[in-house]
Amino acid sequence: MTNDELITKLKAIIAPYVQDEKAFENLTEDTDFINDLKVNSANLVDIILDIEDEFSIRLENEDMEKMLDVKAAMLIINTKLKT
Amino acid sequence: MVGNDVVDLEEAKRTSNWERPRYLEKLFTSKELQFIHDCKNPFLMVWRLWSMKEAAYKLYTQQNPSRFYNPKSFECDISNLNGIVKFKDFECNVKTQITSRYIISEARFLDSEMTSKIIELKGNLPKSHSDILKEALLIQLSKSHQLSKENFKFQKSEFGIPTVLCNSVKIQVSISHHGYFGAYVI
Repeated sequence: MTNDELITKLKAIIAPYVQDEKAFENLTEDTDFINDLKVNSANLVDIILDIEDEFSIRLENEDMEKMLDVKAAMLIINTKLKT
Repeated sequence: MVGNDVVDLEEAKRTSNWERPRYLEKLFTSKELQFIHDCKNPFLMVWRLWSMKEAAYKLYTQQNPSRFYNPKSFECDISNLNGIVKFKDFECNVKTQITSRYIISEARFLDSEMTSKIIELKGNLPKSHSDILKEALLIQLSKSHQLSKENFKFQKSEFGIPTVLCNSVKIQVSISHHGYFGAYVI
């Protein structure tokens, strides 16, 4: 999967939880889920569960710990897909 | 130092589904799952434990400036409306108040009464919610210090930890916002 394909998939997952549409339109790898997209911290776990379902992977506590921005999410997904 | 967290119960109902598969296991330890399982109103217990974890995380990051997402590792123990939250070698007291519309928790190192001010944000545009909350906090500080509001400046660190700057003195605060409720504590 290319980075562009991965970002497209991630955007579809994140969309329902976004509270700042403008930041979402301008999403880049540096976009922060909570600070930029204003995702509620209680919904971060929904994003994590949706990622698990979409990519058929399981994320551990240590993976979740860093899952605060698009870049970190991409890195974790790519690592899990390779193992 | 104090950390607080408010949960708007309507908002929690509307935007989160705690009965979703694997949801609870991602956020709660086996001991906490037992609390949820054993109580009459699991919905309230889920959000009570969540607000305790969030309040404790905010206190922890004031003491240890950092930013991460690991709610499961902040383990709650509860009796009545008092609780203790532990994370690694960090431990704090957390008090909680539950009303029909919101839950508020406050985490501190020492035993103290709860002093969070709750602000209802209904009728205001969501975009302005956090500004209204900060404004109320600055007005409160200006009153208690008997200085004009212009002396106080709200700021967040690179880790998102809020403080208020007053003539180069940093005042520790905690703010929380969820749905139509906001809360601040000094």
